[in-house]
Amino acid sequence: MKRTLIILLRNPLSLLGVLLVLMVIVLAVFADFIAPFPDHKGAVVDFVYFNQAPSDRNLMGTDLVGRDLFSRIIYAYRISLMLGVVVLVISVPIGVLAGLFAGYRGGKTEFVLMRLTDVFLSIPPLVLAIAMMGVLEPTLLNAMLAVTAMWWPWYARLVYNVARSEREEGYVLAAEVIGASQWHICFREILPNCLPAVITKMTLDMGFVIIIASSLSFLGLGVQPPTPDLGSMVAEGARYLPDSWWLTVFPGLAILVAVFGFNLIGDALREILGAEQ
Amino acid sequence: MTALLSTRNLHKTFGKKRSLVHAVNNVSLDVQAGECLAIVGESGSGKTTLANMLLGVYPQTSGEITLDGQQLPARRTLVHRRAIQLVQQNPLSSLNPRRSVGASVRLGLDVYGIGKPSERWRITEAALEEVGLPAAFRKRSPSALSGGQRQRVAIARALACQSRVVVLDEPTSALDVLVQARVLRLLDRLRRDKGLTYVFITHDLSVVRNIADRVAVFNAGVMVECSDTRRLFEAPQHSYTRSLIAAVPVVTEAEMQLRNTLAEESSK
Amino acid sequence: MTPVLAIENLHLGFKGYTGYTEVLHGISLSINPAERVALVGESGSGKSVTARIILGLLQEVRGATIRGELRFLQHDLNSIGTKHWRDLRGTRMSMIFQDPTSALNPVFTVGVQFIEVLRRGSAPLSEAAALSRASALLQSVSINDPERVLQAYPFQLSGGMNQRVMIAMALANNPALLIADEPGTALDVTVQAQTLDLMNQLVASHNTAMLFISHNLGVVREFADRIYVIYRGRIVEQGPTAAVFNDPGHPYTRALMAAVPRITGGGIADIPDTSDEFLQPCVNHGSAL
Repeated sequence: MKRTLIILLRNPLSLLGVLLVLMVIVLAVFADFIAPFPDHKGAVVDFVYFNQAPSDRNLMGTDLVGRDLFSRIIYAYRISLMLGVVVLVISVPIGVLAGLFAGYRGGKTEFVLMRLTDVFLSIPPLVLAIAMMGVLEPTLLNAMLAVTAMWWPWYARLVYNVARSEREEGYVLAAEVIGASQWHICFREILPNCLPAVITKMTLDMGFVIIIASSLSFLGLGVQPPTPDLGSMVAEGARYLPDSWWLTVFPGLAILVAVFGFNLIGDALREILGAEQ
Repeated sequence: MTALLSTRNLHKTFGKKRSLVHAVNNVSLDVQAGECLAIVGESGSGKTTLANMLLGVYPQTSGEITLDGQQLPARRTLVHRRAIQLVQQNPLSSLNPRRSVGASVRLGLDVYGIGKPSERWRITEAALEEVGLPAAFRKRSPSALSGGQRQRVAIARALACQSRVVVLDEPTSALDVLVQARVLRLLDRLRRDKGLTYVFITHDLSVVRNIADRVAVFNAGVMVECSDTRRLFEAPQHSYTRSLIAAVPVVTEAEMQLRNTLAEESSK
Repeated sequence: MTPVLAIENLHLGFKGYTGYTEVLHGISLSINPAERVALVGESGSGKSVTARIILGLLQEVRGATIRGELRFLQHDLNSIGTKHWRDLRGTRMSMIFQDPTSALNPVFTVGVQFIEVLRRGSAPLSEAAALSRASALLQSVSINDPERVLQAYPFQLSGGMNQRVMIAMALANNPALLIADEPGTALDVTVQAQTLDLMNQLVASHNTAMLFISHNLGVVREFADRIYVIYRGRIVEQGPTAAVFNDPGHPYTRALMAAVPRITGGGIADIPDTSDEFLQPCVNHGSAL
């Protein structure tokens, strides 16, 4: 763990990733202190300063009702990160458990669990989310639910593949010959070997969840106004291109920075943790 | 004297009807307490299948396995499992890369309830020291160990359970020759010191010659010859045994001569 | 006599997330025409990477740094460029791998793969001509029913059969150098002995020089004219096979010899698996030129 961290910080690319992600997290956590106009996260109207280009007062300009874009982006980060964390916290354990049991036990368990994940995987994720949001109310909570529903099967499949190959390893045979319980073999022997892959995917997925959430909001199905969201900001601003370019460019860059940062870390982790085995 | 471990008419088949394979065919053999019996054969000879049945990894199709005169059931109890332990070929895979060396060695102690929980780390460390590793290795990860050290850990894991029979499945074929020599010496010393019984599975006849008391030669699931090591090498009875010995790559003149004599005999 | 292959002071290192590690610390070796040279060492000694460098496979790996002179026939391998190098592979230099079954492509028949090999070598060849040449080559490796083998997929054949196919393919274009990396180690001893015998005869009849990479001293003793012993990225002893085996000069070579169990018995020798003595300078037995 410590070794991984040291390597991560020594490589310039992964260091950049760590710095970008840290910046996003700091902005999101301390939004109340950093944002120049904390109250602009809500439904505020300030027609004196509406649709202003970037200036000393508004670093990234203002939107159509005069809210400070920089402040809104910081608050949008908070929503995006929260969405990402909640989605992963719910979907990863479900996926990991399903994959682990299917991979180790094989037979009927494998058949039932993996066919179920196949069903979920065969539905295009965005379509599933749109369908769910159509049936349910388009709220933040439902957005999270929709994204979670389409996220866990990927973890099930990932862990299933790792567990199935780990199952053939000598240490599993060793534990079986000794007579260790299935619980022990699954959770103490095989699971630790699946974790590097899971952690790597989680890092990469933080970026993807942010993009998916933004896409949903862009389509008007995710976070609802006046709550700030990067996707809806881009969608709204796109109508005023190229004159009011800051309305789209800055939220777009904000998405890029966060996703890029998570991806850099994920790529580095994949290489470091993969090489360790 | 009854044998410690024996098999009678042991059969194992895989597959169904048309693609039926007799992996182990009517094998009856006895392993005496304290001896090292080598099971020799090429791939597909059934030697690993035999080992897996002895260990209870899967049940035999027919025939019986007895330990101390007691028949072993298809579903082994922990008492049965504890008596027969395993050392595998590839130490890289037989130790969990994500668990400490100590955790791997201790597993058997926890499963069989050997010693008080508070004493188990001490027993683990003693087992490591017995195979020539420092007790401090307990906290290391297998990836920090060399191939030879890992194989010592695997041996310590079998020792810690205080088993009576150890099945060694190609324990040195993944090791370099210098490391192999040291591990073989260790195995030999442990057997004498602790009165262990070995079932030594290998394809390497030159190793067998120097470590086994008796040798059973397997070919296509059938035991073709079983005799004292010395006799097997100096006067092999079965033509398959002769061809096996004649194919061993050798390094000295004396070995060359032995091989040539055997080659002549089998061509007669 | 110009050597087929001459390597001078070869260094290899890898750069990764964990920093730079040097694997080869200046290896020099040469192989004369029709000579069978063995590179013997334990795992991690650098013998397989040396083979990969000669074939030009490691040069394309990210993070690998290679220094040193490499001459193959009249070519300076460092300056010929990857395309030319690729043309040499499979024609003037070829390779036999440890596991023959995984070295052949499972989705094509042996015949298809064989034709491809033959077409790389010589002037355009019709399919019929290529097939008849392939079947002649298969016959030369003691395959009695070449037509059946050519139509088969590699997984339908035994390991020993695939090994023979590999040997026939490797020699199809009359290479000047054949590199064999632990040939037959994945096979059973009896099959291994047969295929090595076969390879030996063919190499002699084709006048091919051979670099034989192995950890098995017994195999090397039977098949090499000259030996290089490699330990941790350094050559520690070299000379004609008989000289090295009868009078090993380097402590590492001596330990290696002593460690091999004998089929004549005598127990297992007590030797350390590492020692400072093993790092002593190289012992040369003079060359067989």
